[in-house]
Amino acid sequence: MGFDYQLGHKTSSVPDVDFSDSREMKPYDTKPKAMYVGAPGKYGYLRMGFEIDPRGKCILRDLDRRVPLIAQQALYFDEEMPDMPCVYILSNSGQNMEGDRYRQDITLREGAFAFVSTGAATKVAEMNCNYAGMVQNIILEKDAYLEYLPEPMIPCRNSRYISKTSLVVDPTATVTYSEIYMAGRKYYKEGELYKFDILSVCCTGSRPDGEELFREKFVIQPEKENPRNLGIMGSFDVFANVIVMTPRDKADEIYAATDAFIDRDKKLAAGITRLPNDAGLLYKVIGMETGPVKKLVREFCSRVRMTVKGVPIPEEFPWR
Amino acid sequence: MPLTTIMHLLQFTDSTFPVGTFSFSNGLETASFENIVHDARTLEEFTRSQAYQAAFSDGVAALHVHRAYLRGDYGTIAHADRYLLMFKMNAEARLMLRRMGKKLAELSMRLFPENEMIGKWLEEINSETVPGTYPVAQGLAFAVAGIDEKSLFSSHQYGIINMVLSAALRCVKVSHYDTQRILFKLASDADSMYDQAKEMDLEEMHAFYPQLDILASLHEKGNMRMFMN
Repeated sequence: MGFDYQLGHKTSSVPDVDFSDSREMKPYDTKPKAMYVGAPGKYGYLRMGFEIDPRGKCILRDLDRRVPLIAQQALYFDEEMPDMPCVYILSNSGQNMEGDRYRQDITLREGAFAFVSTGAATKVAEMNCNYAGMVQNIILEKDAYLEYLPEPMIPCRNSRYISKTSLVVDPTATVTYSEIYMAGRKYYKEGELYKFDILSVCCTGSRPDGEELFREKFVIQPEKENPRNLGIMGSFDVFANVIVMTPRDKADEIYAATDAFIDRDKKLAAGITRLPNDAGLLYKVIGMETGPVKKLVREFCSRVRMTVKGVPIPEEFPWR
Repeated sequence: MPLTTIMHLLQFTDSTFPVGTFSFSNGLETASFENIVHDARTLEEFTRSQAYQAAFSDGVAALHVHRAYLRGDYGTIAHADRYLLMFKMNAEARLMLRRMGKKLAELSMRLFPENEMIGKWLEEINSETVPGTYPVAQGLAFAVAGIDEKSLFSSHQYGIINMVLSAALRCVKVSHYDTQRILFKLASDADSMYDQAKEMDLEEMHAFYPQLDILASLHEKGNMRMFMN
């Protein structure tokens, strides 16, 4: 499905975003009635490359993008790591619509460090044909460090969404990769929880030499298996999944300092375990609202940063 | 199916089959302590989630191994073994699969001493070339014994459900009548689960059970140790 954009005399190729091998999406592979799959404006691409410049400052050296994905420029607002580029990924599409296909490639060269997030929660719009999907390739070279903490995702009624993320991480590097999912538009009309059609999320971790370390995949289809069942989400409405790939000694420290708990008063629960093949850690949080879940994820990420970089994450901005 | 094969199916499925299932509760110990599972209704829901979780991961791997053995494809068996371990996010679950897998591999060598594929697999477990997971051991043992893959899947499902329910008798306030009723009822899901699992590739294995994962983590980090998980 790759195609070329021609802008005047310039031509640049946008890589494929193809989910034809994902059988769970086949029932939804119908032609959108409006704009076709992959039409300009529905085929977002973002490529960001971070590296250390000759002065020792980390910069966003490489940036390429196609609407609706937008990353304007790196900002340096982190008071604990003032040399760290911070980038918000934005979208001028408003919501992820049927037939949307996005791809994000993020590379951190040797020793680079960065913070990446999104400007606001990502809604996956109501759909009556096709689906939305995103492929992400995140590469960390030797001693690189990335915090990827996007805002939550909100799957609306009958929405269908698939994402595939590849983390290729050098054994000396550290990435904190977080995803937060709401059950739906909780406060829309009388509430719209677990009314989406399908949410398929896959994240793989590997080394630069190709050694595969882990593969986490979850497929949520509320019509097939009720997420309210005990063991799945029960009465909880928000779910966070945080993958940390980091060297074993750092993982041991973070693991020891992180509690697993169920807090009935706050209606919040969290657990931590070790990823297969000494890849790092997996932290999961479930709660009722995004605020407390985001706070826990941020505290956990701060623990990772403190262990790896020796400084915490600053207080979150009050408007976030 | 010949009676001898049915006898072997019953033997491999029996809860006294010495692979150590009695040492594991699949998170039930913590769920009971936290009062999340406290009666027959909550036990049934918890057990159903465990059965579904296993069906679309361990169950899929076991079926692939069974088919691979029948076509003499050791490469796929070793691949399925590594792939399943890579997919298991929970550290205690990985420990359980490896301990039970190795026990069944060793037992299989006694039952099928001439079988080269099981011999090779056990050698590779010992040299840590492959992890040696239980569903892979089940797929191999059932295929060597001439038991069909549908029976393998039902035995695998029965094993998971029975493991949780047997543990429940030791840590949840339920009776034998409750656990037998739950076991009887959950069996009705097995056909539709098999119909889905038999079509799945290894890459399609999936699991979404955050509550179970958090319970497993509480056990992993806690001091309760009546069960290994």
